[in-house]
Amino acid sequence: MKFIINRQKLISGLQDVMKAISSRTVVPILTGVKLEAAKEGITLTGSDSDITIKYFIPAVEEFVDKKTDEADEEMDNKKINAEIIQEGSIVLHAKYFPDIIRKLPEETVEIEMDPQLKVAIRSGKALFHLNGQDPDEYPLLPELQTEDSFELSTNTLKALIKQTVFAVATMESRPILTGVQIKLLDNKLTFSATDSHRLAMQEIPVDDAQTEITSLVIPGKSLNELNKILTDNDEKIEISVTNNQILFRTENLYFLSRLLDGKYPETSRLIPEESKTALQIKTKELLHTIDRASLLAKDDHNNVVRLTTNDNNSAEISSNSPEVGTVTEEIGIQSMEGEDLKISFSSKYMMDALKAIDFDEVKIEFTGAMRPFIIRPVNGAEILQLILPIRTY
Amino acid sequence: MKTWSEVAEVQPLAGRIITNSIKKGRVSHAYLIQGERGTGKEAIASLIAKGLFCTDKDGLEPCHTCQMCKRIDSGNHPDVHWIVPDGQSIKIEQIKNLQKEFTYSGLESNKKVYIIKAADTLTLNAANRILKFLEEPSRQTTAIMLTENSSAIIPTIRSRCQVIDLQPLNPKKFQKKLMDEGMPEQHAVLMSALTNSIDEAVAWKSDDWFASALKLVVQLIEKLVNYPEDAYLFIHSSWMPHFKERSEQEQGLDVMLLAWKDILYYHIGNEEQLVFFRANSDLLQRAALSFSQESIIDNLQAILQAKRKLKQNVHPTLVMEQLTLQLKR
Repeated sequence: MKFIINRQKLISGLQDVMKAISSRTVVPILTGVKLEAAKEGITLTGSDSDITIKYFIPAVEEFVDKKTDEADEEMDNKKINAEIIQEGSIVLHAKYFPDIIRKLPEETVEIEMDPQLKVAIRSGKALFHLNGQDPDEYPLLPELQTEDSFELSTNTLKALIKQTVFAVATMESRPILTGVQIKLLDNKLTFSATDSHRLAMQEIPVDDAQTEITSLVIPGKSLNELNKILTDNDEKIEISVTNNQILFRTENLYFLSRLLDGKYPETSRLIPEESKTALQIKTKELLHTIDRASLLAKDDHNNVVRLTTNDNNSAEISSNSPEVGTVTEEIGIQSMEGEDLKISFSSKYMMDALKAIDFDEVKIEFTGAMRPFIIRPVNGAEILQLILPIRTY
Repeated sequence: MKTWSEVAEVQPLAGRIITNSIKKGRVSHAYLIQGERGTGKEAIASLIAKGLFCTDKDGLEPCHTCQMCKRIDSGNHPDVHWIVPDGQSIKIEQIKNLQKEFTYSGLESNKKVYIIKAADTLTLNAANRILKFLEEPSRQTTAIMLTENSSAIIPTIRSRCQVIDLQPLNPKKFQKKLMDEGMPEQHAVLMSALTNSIDEAVAWKSDDWFASALKLVVQLIEKLVNYPEDAYLFIHSSWMPHFKERSEQEQGLDVMLLAWKDILYYHIGNEEQLVFFRANSDLLQRAALSFSQESIIDNLQAILQAKRKLKQNVHPTLVMEQLTLQLKR
C-alpha cells in the first residue's frame, strides 16, 4: 500500500472516525483505525463494535461550482485529494496515528506500507515508522444492500432523534428499553422511545421507501453519537438495514450501529384514545412555570409538581416539599374542555417533553388523575409525548 | 491439541460427546467444562467456537487458516468474547459488559460465543447476574465456562449447563514425554505430580527459583525433624522471603504436600510411589522415624487447610506460622 494524501482531508476524516474508537475495548484490534487504499480513494474505519464509522476520502473530488461549470476547462472543477500509488490496507493504532498526522509539517502526507506491516509516514522532512496490525484481523462489516433503503434529510433525522432519544431508559434492568424503536410501515416512519414511565413518539411520512420495517431497536447511545457526528444541513441521508446492523449513509460518511436483540413492548395500546380534560397552553410559558415550581421539588426524587385547573381559564402549578417550602403559580390557558382536574407528575419528565416539542402551543389531554396523559403540538404535527402521573395523597 | 482427533486421543469421552452434538446440530446453549490444569479446556472451547464460525470446515475439523479461525486464535473476533479473571476474580464490571453484550445483536453474524475462563472465580453476585442469560438464552448463543474447581460453581449455574468432565492426564504418559524431552526420571516424576503442562515443567526445571524452593522444603522438613523449635524462625528468615507471590506460596505448599505424602508412603512401605524423596534418602528415614502415621495424616490435613486459607485471602505469614506450629510433633 502506498499513497499520498492531502493532510487536512485526512485529519477531518480521522476526527469523525475516532469518535467510534474507544480505548477500553476488549477486542485488541479495535484499538486501531483501518486504512484502505483503493483506486477510487481512501477509506478510514473505526469501531468499538457497537458503532462503526467509515469515512471515504475520494481520490478526486468534483466541485459543483456553477461558475466553473460554464468554462469548459475540466481540470478546474476537480480537486485532487489523494494519489494512490499502490492499493492495500492496514490497521494502525488509533492512539498514535491521528496525533502524528495532526502534527506533521507539510500539506501532504505520504503513507507507505512494507510487507512486514510496518508503515512509513513521510511529510516534508519528518519520517515516522509505525507498526501496523494485520487488516484481516479487523471485523468484517456487512455488505451494503442499497435496495432495501430509504432516504431522509439530515435535519429531519436529527430532529427525530432529538425528539425521542431523551426518553430511553438509562437503567439496564430492561435492556431493550435503552433503545429507540423504529418502524416503517405504509410509507410512515415512526420513532418511539420509552422508559416505562414516559413515552416519546414521532411519526413522519417518507417518500418512496422501498422497504418495510416492522420493528427494530437502535441503542439510544448510538443515536446520540450519530446526532453528534451529523452536521446540520439538508443533505440526504440513506438508511438501510441488514439483519443485525443499521447503516446511515451520507456522501462520504457511513455510520453503522448494532441493534438491540429482543422484543420491544407494544406501545400503541398505552396511548389513550379519548380524553376527559383537554388544555391548550403556550409551550414556553408552561415550561418556565414548571421549571420554577421544580426548584423546590428538586431534592425530592420524583420532582413532583401538581397541576390544578381553575374555572376562569387558568390553571395552578404548585409544588410542596414540607422541609423547604411551597410554591404556587397561576398560568393562563388558551382553552379548556371537559371536567376539572388535579394531577401530579414529574417536573423533569414534563420539561423534557416540552423541550422536545418545537411548537408555540401544546395541547395536553388528560383522562383522569391516575391515567397517563399526552402532550401534542396544537397544529397536529405527529409528535406525541406521553407521561405517567404520580400518585399523591 | 488443535484438532478434534487430537482431543479424542487425550479426552476420548469428552471429545466424543461434543463432536456428536456438533454432528447432529445440537450444540448446547451452555457448557461447563471442568478439568485440571493442562487437560485442554481452552483448546476445546476454542475448537467449539471455531466450529461455529469457520467458513472452510473439513467435516468437523475447523481449518485453522481462514480469517475466522485466525481471528478466534488472536482474540480479535468481535463475536467471540473471552472473559478472563482480572486479578483474583472476575469483576462485576466485566459481567456488566457481558450483560450489555447479551442484549446486542452480533456484529458480523447472529452467532455469538462467550467463553468464561476460571468460572469458579465469579463472585456470587456476578454468578447470579449471568444466571438470567443462562436461563433464557437468545438464539444462536453459546456460553462456555471453564473451571478447575467445579465444586466452587454455584449449583444454580451448574444445573443450567451441560457439564463436560475432562479426565486427569495419565501421569505415566506425561513422565515419559518429559523424559523424552531429556529430563532425568527423578525430576520428571516430581514435575508430573505438580503440573500437566510440558512447557511449564521444562521452564521450572531450569528455573533457579524453583530449585531453591525445593531446597527450602527439604530444609524445613529437616528443621522439623531435628530442631523443631527453629522451624518457626526458619519460616521468617528463609521461607517467607522466598515465596512472595500468592501463586508461589501455593506452589510451596504443593511441594510440601508431596514431601509429606512421601513420608507416609515410606511408613506403609509403598516406596514405588515416592515423588519427592529418593527411597534411600537419609532425611526420609529420619522423618519417618520421628513422625507417627497418625501425625503425618494430621500434618497433611494441616497443609491442605493452609492452602484453603491462602485461597480465602488469609495473610500468608499468619498461614505459614500457624502451619509450622501444627506441623511440630
